[in-house]
Amino acid sequence: MAEKIQWRTEMDDALCQGQKVGKPILLDFFNPN
Amino acid sequence: MDTVTYPESKVVRFIEENFIPLRLLSDSKPHSEKFNIKWTPTLITLSPEAQEHHRTVGFFGPEELIPSLLLGLGKYHYENDRFDEALVRLEQLVDGYGKSGSAPEAIFLVGVCSYKRSHDAKPLKAAYEKLSAAFPDNEWTKRAYPYRLL
Repeated sequence: MAEKIQWRTEMDDALCQGQKVGKPILLDFFNPN
Repeated sequence: MDTVTYPESKVVRFIEENFIPLRLLSDSKPHSEKFNIKWTPTLITLSPEAQEHHRTVGFFGPEELIPSLLLGLGKYHYENDRFDEALVRLEQLVDGYGKSGSAPEAIFLVGVCSYKRSHDAKPLKAAYEKLSAAFPDNEWTKRAYPYRLL
């Protein structure tokens, strides 16, 4: 198990992976400042 | 979230097991406009077809984030008419995080999902009774108020 959340950074990549493994996407809109 | 919540091992485990985690800057167009992002953090449970099922705005500590994510998973299944899967997630929330801010909506939805699965009205009344006992002033108790007559 990863020690950190392995965030994806591209919407299309996340949606494709979600369809592939049958999981929803947790989308976090954030501000780094 | 990066300092307190996301480093928690139980949060990492829960998110990695149940979601594809995706992080976008709050001004990343076109997505920030499509989702009408006005404040951060905004967390959205999306289906793999990009349908929104649950949204929160603002900070959540670990003890509130996990039940909120369970609520998102429950609503993801409920809104796709998968009532058995929805009930698993919602009951996990109610049993494990029954005092969390997400619990009242979960109790309401347990009643609705159970009714939709069985067409028996008793779970709706049970949801109202549970809500009125545990959360007498909550908005979900008010929404369930008519079910007391069933």
